[in-house]
Amino acid sequence: MDDDDLMARVAAGDHAALRDLFDRHAPWLAVRLRRALPAWVVEDVMQETFVAVWRGACRYRPAGRSGAWIWGIARRQAALWVRVQARQAGGVPVPPARDPGDLVVGADELERAFAVLGTAGVDHRELAKLLLVEDRPVAEVAARLGIPEGTVRSRAHRVRRLLRAALGQEEG
Amino acid sequence: MNVEVTGLTRRFRSVNALVEVDLSLGAGVFGLLGPNGAGKTTLLRTLATVLAPSAGRVRLLGRDPADPVERREIRRRLGYLPQSLGFYPGFTVFEFVEYFALLKEVPERRARADAAGAIERVGLAERATAKLRTLSGGMLRRAGLAQAIVNEPDLLLLDEPTAGLDPEQRVSFRALLRDIGRRATVVVSTHLVEDVGTACAEVGLMRDGRIVFRGTPAELAVRGEAHGVGDAPLERGYSAVLAEEVR
Amino acid sequence: MITHPDDPLHVAGCAACRAGAQPPPDVDLGRVWLEVAGRTWSRPRGPVERLASSLLGSPGLARALVTTPSLLRAYVAATAAIFVAGAVFERGTGAPLVAVLAPALAGAGIAYAYGPGADGVFELSRSMPVSGQMVLLARALAVFALNSALGLGAAMVASGASGVALGWLVPMTAVCGLALAVATVSRSAAVGVSAGLAAWCATVLASTGSTGHLDAATTEGWLVPAYVLIAIAGVVVAVRASRQLPAAHD
Repeated sequence: MDDDDLMARVAAGDHAALRDLFDRHAPWLAVRLRRALPAWVVEDVMQETFVAVWRGACRYRPAGRSGAWIWGIARRQAALWVRVQARQAGGVPVPPARDPGDLVVGADELERAFAVLGTAGVDHRELAKLLLVEDRPVAEVAARLGIPEGTVRSRAHRVRRLLRAALGQEEG
Repeated sequence: MNVEVTGLTRRFRSVNALVEVDLSLGAGVFGLLGPNGAGKTTLLRTLATVLAPSAGRVRLLGRDPADPVERREIRRRLGYLPQSLGFYPGFTVFEFVEYFALLKEVPERRARADAAGAIERVGLAERATAKLRTLSGGMLRRAGLAQAIVNEPDLLLLDEPTAGLDPEQRVSFRALLRDIGRRATVVVSTHLVEDVGTACAEVGLMRDGRIVFRGTPAELAVRGEAHGVGDAPLERGYSAVLAEEVR
Repeated sequence: MITHPDDPLHVAGCAACRAGAQPPPDVDLGRVWLEVAGRTWSRPRGPVERLASSLLGSPGLARALVTTPSLLRAYVAATAAIFVAGAVFERGTGAPLVAVLAPALAGAGIAYAYGPGADGVFELSRSMPVSGQMVLLARALAVFALNSALGLGAAMVASGASGVALGWLVPMTAVCGLALAVATVSRSAAVGVSAGLAAWCATVLASTGSTGHLDAATTEGWLVPAYVLIAIAGVVVAVRASRQLPAAHD
């Protein structure tokens, strides 16, 4: 189906058409964005982009330029992110100080990692599940496990190292 | 062990629905077979923390369901699909699954994406924004399954889940069960013997509130070799075991 | 115009280049799509739900509240209309209609708030961490509060400047407790409503017959302890019964 037809369907509220649009354009958009931005920022920007596409599809004028139109939205979303970062960092845009092990992992990955770790990981399984899979705040994890917040942080640090090693992750 | 049950007994007025049930389950798919009134639903409801035992000891996911705080912890990691689910006619499929994600205390930030994921996993993405009252029976069942798996449960309880599904849907359903059973405990209660054969690593057969057989589907089939009645080996095993109990 | 293949504007317009694009390995497009789907498939939450969510600290409980059958707009509008009609009638004729109506309307609202009769997925709700009991109490309180507010408004309209009659609040709790208990035990909202209304009508008729005043059921002081007892008993019975209900089949 032609891109303009797809955009028209999206504008008409067809969710399946949005999915098709996503499948078509997300891969190359991700490649372009990844040149300038870290992976997790690319994911956020892509999310905002396609939600914006969904909401603004009626403004698109059919001229065979849907790809350029979507790229325009993506660029604006990326610029917005950079501006917000700059404001928070006090002027100079810096890449986010985010530990690459500080991922929210899926439960499956966690299982694989702990299978590799064997008995070494047994103590920290619950903590890893609460903090990394369910993405709960440190205070809540501390309350649930009945340990001080400082202990949660130091154990989390250790767990992330173990997980990274187990999943074969590289720095950066 | 995600399920540790000893001596579980449940009475309803004068009826003994469960009698001295012992059950210990780890990860994997466990099938529960038996005639109507055997106690399958009562057992599932007990595991779902909807019913309290009259006697016996129950431990789920390493916790005690009799304690309110631990019960809440269990329920966050539980998935349950009752036999007759009901629905809110005005809700869309997405709103329905998201609502139960929230009731299961999935963190709000994740609830939307997790609901979308569960809906895609059961193959209902095309109808995600359709109102429940416009859905067929089989689709409603799949929506029910989506809410059961939305929180990636460690214990998944399904009561007659394949009712209303066509054979092709049952095939993909069994594949989904096997996938979930790699990490979680899945208990499937069904009277469709063939569902059990392909999806379940182990089978339990219930009668009059007791578990009268536990083993692999192959072992059940062996029991039917001499005297069983039925078209398929599992059916023969099923009828042979039930016949033995009536002595 | 020759554009470089790496120029995004080229790729944007060139289907052949797009088709060959491999997404970067560390970008999870599957997860991105699920986030997009979650945001485009959902309806934005209303202000009432957002307020309830931050007040209660539980988005699940907030959602359960706004989906209460007797708190939906149509039901609330109907209740309000009846209150208004009663208030206008009372203002015109002096007959204490609001006092008689309030307990009845609240009782009906309570019966339709929660329970096997009103909630289609009752069995499933009982296995939730946000438990059936929490939802039951939250909804009952919300319905009670709403009906009290509507009743208060109606009473002010009905009596104008002279003192506002509030004696109906106590019998209202009793009727609500009774309706809730019966609806839960009988597993039918309709039976709960009938029981609540029947009991209230009987009380009103009996007290009117013996004293000659229509609002005697709300003004006779000696009835108050009885009302309070019934209210408490009703709630206790409802909470306990909702925990012990067997399934309709096995």
